[in-house]
Amino acid sequence: MTEVKAELVGNLWKIVVEVGQAVEEDDTLMILESMKMEIPITTPISGTVKEILVKEGEVVQEGRTVAIVE
Amino acid sequence: MPDESASAGLEQLTDDLHARRAKALAMGGEERVTQQHDKKKLTARERVSLLFDAGTFVELGMLAHQHSMTGGPTEPDRTPADGVVTGEGLIDGRRVYCAAYDFTVMAGSMGMVGEQKVARLRKRALLNRLPMVWLLDSAGARIQEAAGSTFAGSGALFYEQVQMSGVVPQVAAMLGPCAAGTAYIPGLADYVPMVKETSSMALGGARLVKAATGEETSDHAMGGSQIHCYISGVGDLEVDDDAACIAAAREFLSFLPSNNREMAPRRDTQDLRDRRIDDLGKLVPVNPRAAYDMRKVLKRLADDGHVFEIKPAWARNIVTAFVRFDGQSTGVVASQPMIKGGALDIDAADKAARFITLCDAFNVPLVFLQDVPGFIVGTEVEKQGIIRHGAKMLYAVSEATVPKVTVVLRKAYGAGYYVMCGRGYEPDALVAWPSAEISVMGPEGAVDIIFPKQIAAADDPSAARKEYIEAVRKTIDPYIAASWAFVDDIIDPADTRRVIIDALEGAATKRQRRVWRKHGVRPV
Repeated sequence: MTEVKAELVGNLWKIVVEVGQAVEEDDTLMILESMKMEIPITTPISGTVKEILVKEGEVVQEGRTVAIVE
Repeated sequence: MPDESASAGLEQLTDDLHARRAKALAMGGEERVTQQHDKKKLTARERVSLLFDAGTFVELGMLAHQHSMTGGPTEPDRTPADGVVTGEGLIDGRRVYCAAYDFTVMAGSMGMVGEQKVARLRKRALLNRLPMVWLLDSAGARIQEAAGSTFAGSGALFYEQVQMSGVVPQVAAMLGPCAAGTAYIPGLADYVPMVKETSSMALGGARLVKAATGEETSDHAMGGSQIHCYISGVGDLEVDDDAACIAAAREFLSFLPSNNREMAPRRDTQDLRDRRIDDLGKLVPVNPRAAYDMRKVLKRLADDGHVFEIKPAWARNIVTAFVRFDGQSTGVVASQPMIKGGALDIDAADKAARFITLCDAFNVPLVFLQDVPGFIVGTEVEKQGIIRHGAKMLYAVSEATVPKVTVVLRKAYGAGYYVMCGRGYEPDALVAWPSAEISVMGPEGAVDIIFPKQIAAADDPSAARKEYIEAVRKTIDPYIAASWAFVDDIIDPADTRRVIIDALEGAATKRQRRVWRKHGVRPV
């Protein structure tokens, strides 16, 4: 089980996966808007998306766990 | 008549010499050597032969050993070479000094005689202006010799390393533990590759930590490559085994001259200097908000696609790497839009500042590839001291007198443009792609600061904001910067390699003098 964390503070623009979806290492899970950039939040491991812990439009702080991949 | 007895005497003496040498070459003995191999580690002597070109190593002080400090018997057999193999040899045909700590002899601990041997190497490295490599696998100071207040006389090893800094390249290859104060050897070195699992460094080893603070940890958990190459930034590269670590040390040196009075070595290449790169458009999205991997761009630009990254796993929002351009060793500082949008934070600033200083010290020209939305702003980074860290990068890029070439690919915003060698930092060439956006900030941010009242007073504030944004966006245009001659040229991205090579060659004779000072007051 791996906690996927936001690397910097930003506005959570888009979630591109669903709970239960299979993902490969480095796949984009969601996209953060910060510093004038669309910054992908990727999964460090291959597996299944277990939980999504944020909502689109939410401001996410640096280091916050945004998803759990198993 | 030859004197037969005298000749037999010399033979005997020579046999005795060879027997003594054989003992030294056997290191800590068969059992300890097996233990070393079982830990997936090579012995100090195997490492030395990997480091140097075959047959070039000349050992110094092989017959040294520990002496009893307490007046008891001295046991040369227990401490062959006093636990450190020292000498000189050639790496790619250039002379380099090396101290390889031998873990099979009293856990590679640093004794007085061994330290005297290494001190002599440091002295020679500085006198002869030649690089020094430490192959570290050591429990630290030999407490049996060092405990007590004779400690008052110690410490010169670090003082000497500081005197060597910026004069000769220093590499500390981490091949085992490097506990306690000796961790400052890598702390002061220019390059620190670390072997995964087996190497570690910490100011206090696990047992000392337990005694001092009660914290339970292990040397690996506290100071392994997973800490120093990913989190602390003390390590420069995590590698799988000893051979890869030593290969990294050799390659690092290949990009640097032997000392600060020489130029970095050139290497022949078959790669064409004017090679066009037509697929950069596919790698770099025109939408300035979209991310891409700058390392792929760099690979396309460099000779033979070869990139030697420094600290690839730490502060990944900036890429620092050695490459060659038409054979010329070059340091590259490149934004990495893939990570944190390429925005700069404290670690990225530290990483870049240190790399720029290294290149400048050893006459390695610098290329900056800009796609930077600026420094990260907000409460978190201010607590971390972003101003102080960002200032280090400003300082380093301002101080650097080597040839500097800047290419703006897309974004060049705010202080990000400055620290990545914008116009004010005297690049020898500053060129931009047609996609470049050079500005103090993006249009959205600018509008909210310049026109908040006008937007609030409008009938449709949202529409008004969009209009203002579009108006400001029109002022962010590389041709405006070119029309003021602030950028030297707008270039076809496919020609980037040729433009960089031409600019580096154009500045190759650069000699820049600064106002005399003892030294500046560098932000830390």
